[in-house]
Amino acid sequence: MSWKQTKDAPFFVGYLNAVPKQLIAFVGIFSVCFIAGLGLAALALSSTQNDPGNGGFQWGNRYENVGLLELRPYPVLRVAAEGENPARTYMLTGQGKRGVFSQAENNAGTPVNLRGVPVNRGDLTMIQVGKVEAAGEGAAEFTPSEPVPLGRWKLAGEICDGKCYAGAMRPGRGLAHKACADLCLTGGIPPVFVSSGAVDGRNFFLMADKDGNVLGDEIKALLALYVEIEGDVERLDDLMVFKVDLATARILK
Amino acid sequence: MSVQYTPVIWNRNKIFYDAILLVAVALYLYVFIRVAPAFEDVTKPIDGAILRMRAFGSCAFLMLTVILCIGPLARLDRRFLPLLYNRRHFGVMTAGIAAVHANYVLGWYFAFSPTDRYVALLSSNTSYGQLLGFPFEAFGIAALLILFVLAATSHDFWLSFLGAPIWKALHMFIYPAYAFVVLHVALGALQGPADPIFTSVVAASVVLVSGLHFATGRMEARRDRGDETAKASLQEEGWVVAGELDDIDEDCAKVVTLSDDERVAIFKYDGKLSAITNACAHQNGPLGEGKVLWGCITCPWHGYQYNLADGRAPEPFTEKISTYRLKLIGSTILLDPNALPPGTHVDPVEIGEAA
Repeated sequence: MSWKQTKDAPFFVGYLNAVPKQLIAFVGIFSVCFIAGLGLAALALSSTQNDPGNGGFQWGNRYENVGLLELRPYPVLRVAAEGENPARTYMLTGQGKRGVFSQAENNAGTPVNLRGVPVNRGDLTMIQVGKVEAAGEGAAEFTPSEPVPLGRWKLAGEICDGKCYAGAMRPGRGLAHKACADLCLTGGIPPVFVSSGAVDGRNFFLMADKDGNVLGDEIKALLALYVEIEGDVERLDDLMVFKVDLATARILK
Repeated sequence: MSVQYTPVIWNRNKIFYDAILLVAVALYLYVFIRVAPAFEDVTKPIDGAILRMRAFGSCAFLMLTVILCIGPLARLDRRFLPLLYNRRHFGVMTAGIAAVHANYVLGWYFAFSPTDRYVALLSSNTSYGQLLGFPFEAFGIAALLILFVLAATSHDFWLSFLGAPIWKALHMFIYPAYAFVVLHVALGALQGPADPIFTSVVAASVVLVSGLHFATGRMEARRDRGDETAKASLQEEGWVVAGELDDIDEDCAKVVTLSDDERVAIFKYDGKLSAITNACAHQNGPLGEGKVLWGCITCPWHGYQYNLADGRAPEPFTEKISTYRLKLIGSTILLDPNALPPGTHVDPVEIGEAA
């Protein structure tokens, strides 16, 4: 159609206000379709986004408790059993993409009063630390339990930063979030293994290397991917710890 | 056309064009951010920043898709030419929307950290050696930089300053930009949990852009094959047969292909014939698909005009294009395939005298 220009064909010249009637109708219909098409595309794309889950900050349920700060190998708060409530171990994070290694090291071995905001997804809870202060002489002394070995396991799942996955970001996992997770782990936030299969009924594991030390840069290539790793699983009160042997790690997809 | 540079020479058509664009983009963002979440099947809402970065990112991707479809559509059907006229505003707006997307990403995924957000953007994921987990942000950065450069140089000042060949070559980088955006999406958002709608939209975009360009390429190849007569016709004393008088409508042209990169437009008007190069000096628009208005050849893309006899834009404009010599034997048009320097006067062939 456009090869041979014909005398009768409508001819559009942009700077002339007079537009041929045939073109007005055509462009009008196209414009309506363009606007409606974008509107429908927005509705379709936005309304079918995947569920980021129920994780999130518990702003209305501020956390305050007395316990002991330990490095296992990431900072955790050990809280003694009280009445019917069993002893608990909470993973800890700082504000933003920061960990709380310095507070944990500075207050190691002495009871502290810790205030913060829980970030929670199911049975994964991380406390965003607001303030840590010595608990004072009135605080009851207790001896935290030792980890309970649960054997060697091969688990498949995703390595996430515990804070975003717990709900600080929704969604807080996947490759689109990989750089953020990388930044969080670099900042000292504990890595969490989200397993597709449960161990002792639990799917979330605080990660450590096979000797129980903090994981280094070698974890970065595996972040946010679906991987399979072997390692020893321990239970620390209610917290599961996965001491991974990265030499066994395999990217599944 | 303008003899001086002003930011935008507004006219009614440009205002309508931009208004429709703005309405469409505003509707997209409003529906994505405000309306559609009410229909989401989620336990807790998606973060506002992530919702907005997805809204602006997907909007820029769809806009880029439409921009790349306009060119081939206008080649296949000239009724789409009005969409081409103000496409640069479309492009500038797309660069702006993409920049907002990038700003939300920087302000969310790369914020709240002791590391500077720009440093974090470039250093937090460096797994360039693996496909899955590849730092797809790099493709987005590359695409955004190209869009910025294209938006910044979209004004006719840069066209004049750089010259049409360089400017045109520079703006062909829109294709690498699109490829980078597709990779950015394919290695990023599409690697998340299965999202058949988004996957379908991306696939449809790639098929549409590729398919339309392929179809246009085939059409152009068919035209060139159909025009072999000009190349293979009798070469009597250096002239080639360009066609018959009846091939050309009044105030219109016939395009003759001399080689892969040289086409000539032969115009019939007021009982005369004149030949000029088919490429407009502005953006290489196909002059042979234009018409004669007020005694001037008028480009179908942006309305640039040239005198028929000498290929010069009417004063005070200064553009000029190559002209060619013609002669008539009976009703057969003969063309001298040697282009004359731009702006060279050639007496039009009088149809009445020759026929």
